[in-house]
Amino acid sequence: MRNYLRSLFLFTLVFLTINGILAESRQPDKFKEALTIKPLSDGKLLTHFQFSVKHYGYKEGVVFSHYNFFPRAIGQIFQTYNVRELHLTFTQGRWNYEDWGYPFVPSAGTGVELWAWLWKDGKLDENWKSLTNALAGLFCASLNFIDDTITVQPKLSFRPEGPFNITELTERAELRYGSLPHENVCTENLTPWIKLLPCKSTSGIASLLNGHKLYDSNFHSMSIHVQPSCEEPDCINQQLEIIQTVSTVIDPVRNSGKRDWSLNNVFGRRLSQACPLAEESNLEIIIPEDGDYKIIPDADDIIQRSMDDTDDVEKKIAVYNLKKIEPDTELSMIWNEDQFEYNFNPVQPRIFAHRFFTGYGQERGGIKVNIFNKSPNISIPIIYYDVIPWYLKLYLHTLKVQINGKNTKLDAVNPIKDLYFQPAVDRSRPNVIEAEMLLPPNSLTTLSIKFDKVFLKYTEHPPDANRGFDIGSGIISTGKIDNDFLSNSTNMSLVTKKSLVEYMYFPIRIYTETLLVSLPTPDFSMPYNVITLTCTVIALFFGSMFNLITRSFVAFIDAGEEKAKKKIDSDKSNVQKGEKKDFDGENFDSDKSNVQKEENRDFDREKTKLEAEKTIDNN
Amino acid sequence: MSKVRQELKTIEVLPNLTGVIIFGVAFAIRFILFQFSNITEILGNRVEIVTPVTSFTRLTEGLYLFDNGVPPYDGGAFHQAPLFLACFQLLSYLPNILIPLTYIIADLLIAYLLANITRIKQHLYKDFPRIDVELYEGKPKEIDPWIVSGLYLFNPLTVASCLSRSTLLFTNLSVVLGTYYSLRNNKSYGMFWIAMATYLSFYPLMLVIPSILMLTNNTNLKGKKIENEVYSCAGLYIGWLTGLFILSYLLVDSWDFMQSTYGVILLLPDLTPNIGLFWYFFIEMFDQFRSFFLVVFQLHAFIFVVPISIKFRNHPLFVVFLLSGIMAVFKSYPSIGDASLYLAFLPIYSEIVKYMRYNYLTTNIFCYCSILSPIFYHLWIYAGSGNANFFYAITLVYTVGNIILLVDSTFSMLRREFDIWNPELRHCEITQK
Repeated sequence: MRNYLRSLFLFTLVFLTINGILAESRQPDKFKEALTIKPLSDGKLLTHFQFSVKHYGYKEGVVFSHYNFFPRAIGQIFQTYNVRELHLTFTQGRWNYEDWGYPFVPSAGTGVELWAWLWKDGKLDENWKSLTNALAGLFCASLNFIDDTITVQPKLSFRPEGPFNITELTERAELRYGSLPHENVCTENLTPWIKLLPCKSTSGIASLLNGHKLYDSNFHSMSIHVQPSCEEPDCINQQLEIIQTVSTVIDPVRNSGKRDWSLNNVFGRRLSQACPLAEESNLEIIIPEDGDYKIIPDADDIIQRSMDDTDDVEKKIAVYNLKKIEPDTELSMIWNEDQFEYNFNPVQPRIFAHRFFTGYGQERGGIKVNIFNKSPNISIPIIYYDVIPWYLKLYLHTLKVQINGKNTKLDAVNPIKDLYFQPAVDRSRPNVIEAEMLLPPNSLTTLSIKFDKVFLKYTEHPPDANRGFDIGSGIISTGKIDNDFLSNSTNMSLVTKKSLVEYMYFPIRIYTETLLVSLPTPDFSMPYNVITLTCTVIALFFGSMFNLITRSFVAFIDAGEEKAKKKIDSDKSNVQKGEKKDFDGENFDSDKSNVQKEENRDFDREKTKLEAEKTIDNN
Repeated sequence: MSKVRQELKTIEVLPNLTGVIIFGVAFAIRFILFQFSNITEILGNRVEIVTPVTSFTRLTEGLYLFDNGVPPYDGGAFHQAPLFLACFQLLSYLPNILIPLTYIIADLLIAYLLANITRIKQHLYKDFPRIDVELYEGKPKEIDPWIVSGLYLFNPLTVASCLSRSTLLFTNLSVVLGTYYSLRNNKSYGMFWIAMATYLSFYPLMLVIPSILMLTNNTNLKGKKIENEVYSCAGLYIGWLTGLFILSYLLVDSWDFMQSTYGVILLLPDLTPNIGLFWYFFIEMFDQFRSFFLVVFQLHAFIFVVPISIKFRNHPLFVVFLLSGIMAVFKSYPSIGDASLYLAFLPIYSEIVKYMRYNYLTTNIFCYCSILSPIFYHLWIYAGSGNANFFYAITLVYTVGNIILLVDSTFSMLRREFDIWNPELRHCEITQK
């Protein structure tokens, strides 16, 4: 009976396991796509494409090789190099926080930004290097230039976007971050990006991705995020999710003077059918709160939702389901106005920042960051993060913090709660500043630091040396202020004691401007001349010194004078014998005897010569 | 002959009115100028005066990192010896005025020791034969030791270097102390200060040989073997140096400082301009030849130690002068502070000046460089109307000026000695063999 039960139990177990595996592998990847359009307060238009594919049955450390919608190219790179999370963003232009508010996804600073959590497997740095190279090949970008001099490990600013357990994460994975501010983004990066989509650009909202229109914009950002995700709160079954986004900010006012837009004049294309593989395919328009406008045709549905993490205000959204829409539908929004009137008092986001260089000349300078906190009555915790390349030598002792133009020296009012600084090492790693700060309400906090510009070897300058070097954006991480924090922020001592990072999560990232610094240049046509001239000077010294040290002085003497001289010589040696003295213990008589010997030898030779050369070792 | 030794121990330059005036004025000038913080700021940022390995700004940075628990040698900004950290940390607890005072006192101490060195040198050469013209009423004309101090203290290069708070001053002090004690036959102190100078800026390593020459000069009188004396000196030197290294290790708790100080001096990762030959040469050097030329240039600086020490074995002080001159020109990060040291040794041998052929030229070159080098640097870095070659040209001229001075004084020394031993050949034509 017991045997029977045991075999039944075993059988059930095997059945369940097999069933589970089959069920898991049977569950197909899920693909969702959405296009969000938002008229911005300065008349520009934000369009945001988001595509996400979820691969079910993903287990950390277990290699999967069956691909459905999930792009194989990314999946293979992801698994080969033991990546836990991957975030790659290509951006051109700068997100204008003051006019546009916060973007839907953290926009990255100009250029390319790559950050990834990699599993510690003994060859993590090698994997990171391979990862950058593989992605460089995949996206036709110069990601392979993210080498040791650029790579950093931020301590505070970046947390995984997917689910994570902080202790497990810090033990088993490490973060690597690299950015290339000078990288230009163009169609050669977009094409491989589109190829990763299940429907490519043949149908669905991806068919609107028209390179000609996309890059004719004030700002565009294209990104790939690969991260584990969970659908249940306890996170037993994980999925691997890839989120691809494209955001562009287009200026309809530039052409017509009005804010009117239609899909055709924004993208140069009309909407065709939805991607048949997509589970959801939506087009959403965030409806402005005021203004006289109409959207044609009418939306399928109007919902209310809050759009970004800082804003609790729910916004009205017109939703079009592309599964139901007619082919070649033209969607447009028409404002009842003759000319767009610029809004001079836009609603500013809570935190924004500007960064700029100070000083002049090519020898030294300074960096200044102005961080604004516009909230009228709450102190806001932020993390300021800045990577400055090694060719600017930062002096940490010159770091100054000002609040509303006043120096803060007292610790009580110092907004910097914790500071992590990694000084640069020439040709091997950059400067990293990470500061946890608490910004007082309605304030302008200014950080300033001075640096020396490094003189580079002529081979280290780029071909366009006088253009200068790009310095990547500084990043401010901040987040939604939760009530816990608010209740405690009155008690400042508690905040200073406890690390802010443990305290709250910082999902919003604000990127400052990238900067351009010109370094002193040598004359690039000079290598041969410099080698020649410097070596000549060295040879001049070596030659003259060698000459003086090795050759002794010689007098030309007539034979007639010789006899007279001999007499003097003998007199001299007598005199010298008499007054022979020690010079500090050193016997000068040895010198004298040398002189004598030389003279005797010379005298023999002189017999046969009329004019003789007399040498004396004057030493 | 122990009398000579006895005398050496006691010989001391006596203060007189000249001395008091010179030191008083020198102190006042420095003290007043230190009160203008923008002067020290400007001078402390001049590439001619401070280098990456002596800059006070970088020392402050190293100190700041050290105070805040960041390993100071982990970054690429601080390249100075760990003992500076300890000393300046101590100074930072004391009133602010002490830092300028330390610099002023170090400078005055150098001058005082130079006067003493002059006095000892004059004593040692008392019985050395002379040429007739140097005698005045049967007695040799000697330079007043206080004038030697004065020439050091009022040398604009010295003043500028002191005001810039360049830490090179302490290397110079160690060199002068090392020379002073070696001349006094104080083996232990002499070797300690030479070891200290080596520890602070590496190149004074070459001064070990002249110091040993000074220390072993009268060993045969004491009945000791010269070899043993040389070994004991070398042993002392190595002992002191090791001691300093171990002390530094205990201070910063890692050996990183070796790479960050001596590694930087030898391998030249920081190509900030200075008045030397290295920076532009290695900015412009092709990558594949960089290591080769680095070895050649560093060897070139050291290659003269042995031949000069042999040639002038009877004049070890003159060897110190020549070697500090060579250091000042051919070290990897030279500054005018280096030049001020070797120029201070020159008046001690004032008797050779009348043999020097290019005094007018070298003086002019120094003036010309002092005026044009800031201008050309400004044209390159700030105005943008000149390029790097402008400043490079001035560094070449400066180097050539120093070279002419060094070669000329070597020539004068040898030529004068030839005349001393061959007074009868005074009217003959003298050339080199």
